[in-house]
Amino acid sequence: MPIDPRHVGRRYGPFRTTVCAEQIRAFAIAVAGGSPGYFGTAVGDPHPWSVDDEAAARSPHGALVAPPTFGVTFAMKPFALACSDPELGIDLVRLLHAEQEFELGKPVRPGDELTTEGEIVEIRSRGPLEFLAVRTETVNGDGERVLVGRWTAVVRR
Amino acid sequence: MKQASDFHVGDSFELVRDADRYRPIYYAAVSGDFNPIHIDRDVGRAAGFPDAILQGMCTMAWLADACTAYLGDPARVKRLRVRFSKPVVVGDVVTFRGRCVAVEGPVVRLEVEARNQRGEEVLKGATAEGWVEAG
Repeated sequence: MPIDPRHVGRRYGPFRTTVCAEQIRAFAIAVAGGSPGYFGTAVGDPHPWSVDDEAAARSPHGALVAPPTFGVTFAMKPFALACSDPELGIDLVRLLHAEQEFELGKPVRPGDELTTEGEIVEIRSRGPLEFLAVRTETVNGDGERVLVGRWTAVVRR
Repeated sequence: MKQASDFHVGDSFELVRDADRYRPIYYAAVSGDFNPIHIDRDVGRAAGFPDAILQGMCTMAWLADACTAYLGDPARVKRLRVRFSKPVVVGDVVTFRGRCVAVEGPVVRLEVEARNQRGEEVLKGATAEGWVEAG
């Protein structure tokens, strides 16, 4: 059954989260080919300013900075909730991530208190495919924008 | 760290990343994306793929790593845009080849190709924008 386009405008959030250094470090290590957490020591080749406290302290940022796509940890929630929203009735096995855009503002650092809100901005069909797009916006505790995301899924019939 | 004057149209950069068996599981742990299609081979197969498929956001994170290494600072990456044209399956190796296509004041525009070991494009139209301070 096609996704009902009347769900455009449906909103998710606000969701609040506090960023911690360990979370940034584990993310950077896992992405760079290492193993995060216990039972592994490989770190791959992450940028030192996302994993090494001393190197980060000497950097222009003075502390760890999150890798550019770390936003998945706090800003994907509205998209994931939309994709699995019973009102939309999407079969997750038929769903794939189709497109993604990130517009990054202030860097994300340990201790940041972030608030994310999301909204379904597009539902359209093309042949046997259906597309669902969610726009998210995240601000930090000072009200500065850190991320605008546009998350697009495709559902194969 | 590289300054604005160090970036030139035509610069190129490359990064290779391995979608080893544990990568989607590790990525799930650090991103929160535990969609079963990424961590369960049977679900990947039910969806029509030979194995579990890597989270698209992990492929995008690799793209961002390639751009970060070129720009010199994770915080310099200000815009990323991708279309996931072919899923990355467990066992794939992805090569990212980027080039600088424009330098406009503090803005550095990048285009990046991402191909698996068979030469198939896993991202299409991948672009990034970096902001580097003047000087």
